[in-house]
Amino acid sequence: MPKRGGGRNRNWKADTDHFEHDDRVNSVPRHVSFKPGAKGKNKFRTWKNPLALLDDDIDMGSSALQGPVRKSSFRGRGRMYSPAPQGSHGHTKKKFIPGVLPWYQIIIPYGAKHEKDVILRALLGFLSPDIFIPHYYKVNGNAAVFYVDDVKTAEKLYNADRKITMSDGFKLIVIVRNAVPNMAIDAAMKEKMKLTMAKRYNATTKALDLTKFHADPDLEDIFCALFRPMIMLAAIDIIAENIPDIEALNLNDNKLHGLQHLKVLSSKLKNLKILYMGDNRIPFLGSLDPIRSLPLVELYLKGNPLVNRFHDHEIYISDVRKKFPKLTRLDGADLPPAIGFDVAEDMGLPPRQQSFLVDPAGQDLVREFLTQYYAIYDSESRQPLLEAYHENATMSMAANYLTNDSRNSTTTRLNSYISNSRNLTRITERESRRRYLRTGKLQVVSFLSDLPKTTHDLMGFAVDLLVFTPAMIVLTMNGVFKETNTPNNPMRSFHRTFVIVSNANGGFSIINDMLYITNTTKEQEDKAFSTGTVEPIPPTPAPTPTPTPTLAAGTPDDSQKMQLLNMLGQQTGMNEHWSINCLQETGWDLQRAMFIFNQLHSEGKIPPEAFVK
Amino acid sequence: MSDVAVKNVDSACETAEEFTRVFYKQVDNSRHLTSKLYWDTGLLVWNGNGISGNDKIQKFLMDLPASNHTLKSLDAQPISDVWVANKWTYLIQACGDVTYQNEETKKPFQQTFLIVAVDGKWKIASDGFRLQVPYGN
Repeated sequence: MPKRGGGRNRNWKADTDHFEHDDRVNSVPRHVSFKPGAKGKNKFRTWKNPLALLDDDIDMGSSALQGPVRKSSFRGRGRMYSPAPQGSHGHTKKKFIPGVLPWYQIIIPYGAKHEKDVILRALLGFLSPDIFIPHYYKVNGNAAVFYVDDVKTAEKLYNADRKITMSDGFKLIVIVRNAVPNMAIDAAMKEKMKLTMAKRYNATTKALDLTKFHADPDLEDIFCALFRPMIMLAAIDIIAENIPDIEALNLNDNKLHGLQHLKVLSSKLKNLKILYMGDNRIPFLGSLDPIRSLPLVELYLKGNPLVNRFHDHEIYISDVRKKFPKLTRLDGADLPPAIGFDVAEDMGLPPRQQSFLVDPAGQDLVREFLTQYYAIYDSESRQPLLEAYHENATMSMAANYLTNDSRNSTTTRLNSYISNSRNLTRITERESRRRYLRTGKLQVVSFLSDLPKTTHDLMGFAVDLLVFTPAMIVLTMNGVFKETNTPNNPMRSFHRTFVIVSNANGGFSIINDMLYITNTTKEQEDKAFSTGTVEPIPPTPAPTPTPTPTLAAGTPDDSQKMQLLNMLGQQTGMNEHWSINCLQETGWDLQRAMFIFNQLHSEGKIPPEAFVK
Repeated sequence: MSDVAVKNVDSACETAEEFTRVFYKQVDNSRHLTSKLYWDTGLLVWNGNGISGNDKIQKFLMDLPASNHTLKSLDAQPISDVWVANKWTYLIQACGDVTYQNEETKKPFQQTFLIVAVDGKWKIASDGFRLQVPYGN
């Protein structure tokens, strides 16, 4: 039999009509008799063995009682029907045992006989000067039932049992049991929570303060305790729906215990950086594991049992930091910068650059070449590209869908490319591999002419000049184009490589062309074609238009010659005399002149006087 | 195309398959050895950041987060030996997805290699890597 005395805390069925008669004149302390109600078991129990009712609280809300405590109580008592040994103890010898959760149901048998404030005033008077807040007061049958959320209050009320004499001469019976109010979450409740949360949200700081949420005056008639997983999850859903960019959340003083269900925070509230969870009941540091993936910069944990487990505050800080490496503030204090190891964990990706030029001298040539190439490529006819390809040029194209792309509409289908794709992971036959490689400029341009008509976002090109020697140029580009003759003008992403060689006419020809086409990502689509197409790629500090087209060379007039002269001088640092010589020898082709210069310069064949101005 | 040229096309494809298998395995699992695959004076252009020279490439690679590449598309062409001083030179385009440490999402990437046969070994002369992201200003 329990010396622990939790028994009296538990033998009440608040939700049935228990009280048959008021026979408190009887000297037996327990004057109640249970009707055989909905539960058939009850018929074996009478007021003579009230303790037999100890195991009759099964139908309380499943979340209402703490499993382990309850089980051990059962074990202690057994299912005894003989009241004798217990009865001799009397209730005064029983001690109040706090439950795991700080919620207590207070039952005042016959409380229905009095007004709510008469009972509360009586109890408050007894507890004075302490005060307490009764939650969810209601009359149930002829009993009055309410809840308190504080263990000290519960204990004081427990001790108030039969100490207060009411106006009718009876002593007020006060039964205290460890129980959590049970509340179903319905649309009306969610709406109420939403309104209450709205007034607690600060849009400027993107901070939501849910401190002691259940005690909010607007929620006092419903039991909206965030420590109950269902309610917390409902609250998180409301936040995710209405203020998904929330950055700070204050959950102080909500009696939080287990945090397993808070795992959803990292996926639902991606911007959450500040989390206050002080004055809760989080037992271990390990209890925070479900929220480890939150990139928190500030965390507040004071007032939780887990903090007291650490005797050394330094160790506490370091252990919390292990879980939240980005933390700069803990429990309201700035943390000293952590001294870490130079390991992969903290590595980010280097920032990306829009273009790379292995040799800055190649800049104009690249810009010119691409501008002209895509002017023709994006025009009505791609036939003039014949000029751009070498007699023996080879060209191949591969196409593939993005991984995990949920969009599957006619516009995202890449049929016109996939059917000609030379993806070697799929095309494994030698014969097919040879066939899909277009060889000779006629085949190449004929193939290109059959691809969908396009407009390329030249400003959005990423261009890398990988090789720039007199013999060979290798150029790769990434970017986005629109199909202009396809319904809805779908955007595609591409990666392309040109290998370019100088030709017999002093110009340049593409000898290898490799193209990869895939769908655009959402980010690409948002940014594409947003910078206008006035300035061709790649962007340069001082882009001067060069009037010598690579593909359609003509003889420049004098003013154009002056311009070319200036540009070559700027690019190479050579004086006017040497610049003129160089341009004359190359037929006033700037690119060619640059090429020759680079070649000779790298071989050390340009004398120092060429640079004397 | 001549017979020799046709065989060279076949060889480019097969070399590309073998090369990418070795390359991504090294990058993902034995990053510290990856620079051996580059020519001494090789060039890596990683998302527009140029790094030249075997040693510097190794250091750069070591500073990248751990990765996991999945190859989805591959293409290869031989570059005519007329243009590359009688060296076997292949152009390879490899595309797929990459996942970096501490990130859950797969990022699409595209990578172009220029590989050259040096003393019986294939070496990367140029490597241009790009994530498929918007690059405009």
